Order: sequence, then structure tokens, then C-alpha cells
Amino acid sequence: MNLFSLAVKNLQRRKGRTLLTIAGVAIAVAILFSLLSFSAGYERELTKEMDSLGFHLLAVPKGCPYEATTLILHGGVIPKYLTNEDLVRARATDGVVIAAPLLLQQFVKDGIPHIVYGIEPDVMLPLKPAWKVEGRFFTADETHVMVIGSTLAEKENLMPGSVIPFGPLQEPFTIIGVLKPSGSEDDNFHFLPLAEAQRVFKKEGFITAIAVRADDVKHIHDISVELEKVPDIQVVTMAQVTGTIMNIVGSARSLLFSVIVIAIVISAAGITNTLLMSVNERTREIGMMKAIGASGYHIGVLLITETLLITTLGGIIGILAALAGSGLIETFVRGMVPYAPSGSFVSFDPILIAGCLVFSIGLGLLCGIYPAWKSARLSPMEAIRGEWE
Amino acid sequence: MSIIKATGICKTYQRGREEVCALRGVDLTLEPGEFVSIVGPSGAGKTALMNILGCLDTPSCGTLTIDGVQVTGKGEAELVKIRREHIGFVFQQFFLIPTLTVGENIGLPLLFSGTPYDPAKIEILLEKVGLAHRADHLPGQLSGGEMQRVAIARALVNSPRILLADEPTGNLDSVTADGIYRLFEELHRQGITVIVVTHNRELAQRAGRVIAIRDGCVVAGS
Ligand SMILES: Nc1ncnc2c1ncn2[C@@H]1O[C@H](COP(=O)(O)OP(=O)(O)OP(=O)(O)O)[C@@H](O)[C@H]1O
Ligand SMILES: [Mg+2]
Repeated sequence: MNLFSLAVKNLQRRKGRTLLTIAGVAIAVAILFSLLSFSAGYERELTKEMDSLGFHLLAVPKGCPYEATTLILHGGVIPKYLTNEDLVRARATDGVVIAAPLLLQQFVKDGIPHIVYGIEPDVMLPLKPAWKVEGRFFTADETHVMVIGSTLAEKENLMPGSVIPFGPLQEPFTIIGVLKPSGSEDDNFHFLPLAEAQRVFKKEGFITAIAVRADDVKHIHDISVELEKVPDIQVVTMAQVTGTIMNIVGSARSLLFSVIVIAIVISAAGITNTLLMSVNERTREIGMMKAIGASGYHIGVLLITETLLITTLGGIIGILAALAGSGLIETFVRGMVPYAPSGSFVSFDPILIAGCLVFSIGLGLLCGIYPAWKSARLSPMEAIRGEWE
Repeated sequence: MSIIKATGICKTYQRGREEVCALRGVDLTLEPGEFVSIVGPSGAGKTALMNILGCLDTPSCGTLTIDGVQVTGKGEAELVKIRREHIGFVFQQFFLIPTLTVGENIGLPLLFSGTPYDPAKIEILLEKVGLAHRADHLPGQLSGGEMQRVAIARALVNSPRILLADEPTGNLDSVTADGIYRLFEELHRQGITVIVVTHNRELAQRAGRVIAIRDGCVVAGS
């Protein structure tokens, strides 16, 4: 037998109380772990998603930067337009590798909004190397054809070869391709050749935005300065979009962190209280142990060990619970943040796990030190008389 | 050489503002292997004296030597060592740890003295106190008398030369108490110095010497 097994046996004396305290620590650590892994994962996934967009900046009509942000992320309609001239200017700008015109339109069918993208396949496909199509993609000058996203295809029960009535005139359109699931918003869209989209929605010569890829990320700034010289154009860079989102998420995060701090303080007070209570109950026993040869050091180590057992076990359970329940937590968090990247952001990060374990141990030391110190220096005579205070 | 020599021991306790004199100049000498009873009315200072003899408490004045070693003035660290090596304690309320087996309870002092746990030695002690083959039982499965025997075995595990028992039979019926006293007599025969506080006059007479205390002074048997 050693002090460790004595500590274990002591904890077994009040199983209910021990388990409740462990549960308290586990909950606090689980919240902490989830939030930290969310913070790290969210930024990582967001950046990844922005990279997968394939372009560095977006030229939009002046006066709509916020709509532009939404548009990039969810699809949407801006009531103003750019023209072909703007596109020509953009293509002529130094450092621009690709300038892809986009026409966005929206229509509502059976109460569900649908987003239509008019695109030029020659410039759009190089921007989207991840796109895989079942069937085939259209060429720039085809008419009455479209490619749709996988989610949309599934919802509407469509496949390559299906013909649907489309547009204000309900013209028959053939689905010639369905995009394989990409995990992004693209899965929900209709894609048409630009000219065809302009014809169907009577927007000849107009485009909603120009997606621009720079030859080097270092040139993004110069390009946006150059493009903004065009009177109609306003530039939104992906870095700005990421920054805006991180700002909004940041304030949500501070709120969540105040919640966790409160949870931890309550949990710490609970642990300390439990320990003081258990030491108080055992005052005379501590006196007995001193009488049969225990030093203050032995008593202190025994109590610290009991605390560390509680918090370390609680920490491990909390981390395991957070990992097991990460799906649930993620769903919850997704509902709370303005924009949720499609990739999973709760991940198995060994450094974070180690950090949370260290936190649990630190919590144990912090909570255990006072009760341990107090009982270590208790005089054996007073302890045997049951005098604690 | 005396095993315990106390001279002019006083002890005052602070109770709120009031000072309580528990011991007023106690002189006491015990020879090795003596069996001594301490008697006296409640509040006379018996426990106070036992605590000081057992190095659980320090006297306000006077000197104490145990086994020739000057104890008064020593710090808690040294007192712990003296308790560990020289003294076994038995209390009225057995103080066994309910989640430890009988064997583990007896071995508890070994944990603090850093001696390895030896099941054979524990079994010898169990035989000595009349509880052979009970090492794996839990205290809850024992009677009061048996628990006190376990507590006595625990007090003996570090082979002390002095056994201090403060009202060890206070919670036991007379038949069981008689058994415990027979055990003390046996230990006394084996050369251990046994000091027992009791309220029972009959039991007290079984010791070789009866020391009576009243109002913090030894009134007989010193
Ligand atoms: N730690 C203490 N603080 C204050 N007063 C104390 C303390 N310990 C003992 N006393 C007082 O000292 C006196 C002697 O107490 P002690 O416990 O030695 O009596 P006792 O002879 O053991 O009595 P009993 O037979 O009831 O156990 C009592 O008046 C008691 O109230
Ligand atoms: Mg007493």
C-alpha cells in the first residue's frame, strides 16, 4: 500500500460525492476543450475554404461590400451590375491571371430560393479544379443547358439528361451535368453559360461580379488599388472577408469564453468545498494518522493526491466526452456563428489534449493546496479533539 | 534507566479568553515494561497528560525525556519521528479506515515510516491480538472488541516500547473489555510499557501501578 492507493480508497468512501465532483470537472474541461478546439479549427477551416474558392478578390458594383460578402459565401443577388467594359479593364490589369465574370440571379420555386450562376466555363473551370462533374460541362456558347450542384440534384431528384422548365419563360433546359459533392455552397447552385443566363434573365451585357485570381498573393493589394480606379468597381479581398468573419466570430467567442470562465470558477469552488468538507469530516482521523506516525507532509500529499485524482480523472473524461460529442457540439456552434465552414472544425489535436490535461492537473493543485496545507499543519492534539477551525 | 521521566509538567489551554490549567506540575517516572493505569474524574487532565507523554502536544512548562532522549523543545518534525519509533497509540474510538482491510489498517504506520508492508509480520501481529486469518476482512465486518484489537495491532506494528491507550475500553462491554485487558497484560509480560487511562476502578487495579489525577495534579501513585 502507498499514499496513492490510500487516496483512492479514501475517495471510495463517498462514491456519490466523488463522482459528482469528477462530473463537475469533466463538464468544465469538456466545454473548455470544445471551445479551444473550435477556435483553432474554425479559423483553419475558414482559411482553407477561402483558398478553395480559387480566387483572391472579387470586383463588385460600388456600394455593396456587405452584400458582396454574403454573395461569396451563400449566393445572393446584388441589385447593381458591372458591365463587359469593366471585365475588359479587369483582364487588362497587371498581375491578373484570371478574371471570371459571374452573373447571379435568384428565383423562388415552391417557396425555396434558388441561385443561378452565369459563368464562362473557360475561365471558371481553372478557378475550380476541385469540381468533378457527372455527365459533362457546357461550353460558352451552348443554349438551354445547365449543370447543377449535387445537393440540388438530390433534392429535386434530377440527373444528367433530365429536362426542366426554367427561367421567367419556363423554357425547357437539359441538365447535362451534376457536380460531385464538394461540401461547399456550390452544391446548391444552378450553373448556366454566362451568355445564356444573361439572355434568360434579360441582363444582356451585365455581370454581377468578377472573380479575380492574382499571379501572386503579394500582388493582391496592387491589383485591388488598380481595379478600384474604375468608377463602378469596389474590391473585396478574401482576406477582408475572412477578417470580417473572424471579427464577428471573435465577439461570439469572447462571450463563450466568459461562460467557460464562470463554469471553471464554479467547478473550482465546488472541488475546494468538497475537499474542505471531506477533510473536516476526517479531522479526527487525520489526528490519528499523525499519532501513528504521519507527518504534515504525508497528510498534505495524501490530500493533494485525492484532489489530483478527481481533477485528472474529470479532465480525461471531459476530453473524451468532448471528442465523442464533438458532432453535437459542432452542430450547436454552427448555429451560433455567422458563417460555418463545411469542414469539421473539432479535431483531435494532441497539443490541445495535453493542454487540457495540464489544466486539469493545475486546477487540482490550485483547489487542493489550501485544504492540504490546512490539514498538514493541524496539531495532532487539536485534530484528535476534532477541532478543525 | 526510566523509559519515561516527566518533571514539573504544566499545560494551559486557551479557551476563548479564558486560560484553562489542565496540568499543574506533574512529576512522573515510568520504568521499562511497567503496566500503569491512570484514573481520575472527568476533566482531571488524563487526556492532556497522555497527549504530552505521547508527544502529540507540548507542555507549557516542565521537561520530558523518553528513553533517555530529551523531548521538550523539539520541533514537530522530530516529534513525529519519536512517535513513529517509540510510541503506539490506542484510542477510545478505534479510528480504523473503513475502506482498508484489517491488514492494511494494521500496516498504515508502515506507510508513514517508509517500511515495506510484510504480510507475514501482519499475520504474526494478528495472531498476537487473537485475530488470526482475518487480514482480508473489512473493519465493518468486525465487532467493537475486534476493532480495538486491530487498533492495538496497528499501534504495535512499528515495535514501539511504549503503548498509550486513552480509555480503550470506553466503548466496550465488560466481557470484551476484560479481553482487551488480558491482551495488555500479555504485552506487559513481553516487556512493553503499557499506560492505560480508564474510568473503571476494577480494570485499573489489574495494572501494576495506579496513578490518580485530580485537577491537573497527581494525587496518588507517582
Ligand atoms: N485543546 C484544549 N483546549 C481547551 N481546553 C482543553 C483542551 N484540552 C483539554 N482542555 C481542558 O483541560 C481540562 C482537562 O481535560 P482532559 O481532556 O485532559 O480531561 P480528562 O481527564 O481526559 O477527562 P475525561 O475523562 O472526560 O476524558 C478540561 O477542563 C478540558 O476542558
Ligand atoms: Mg480524556
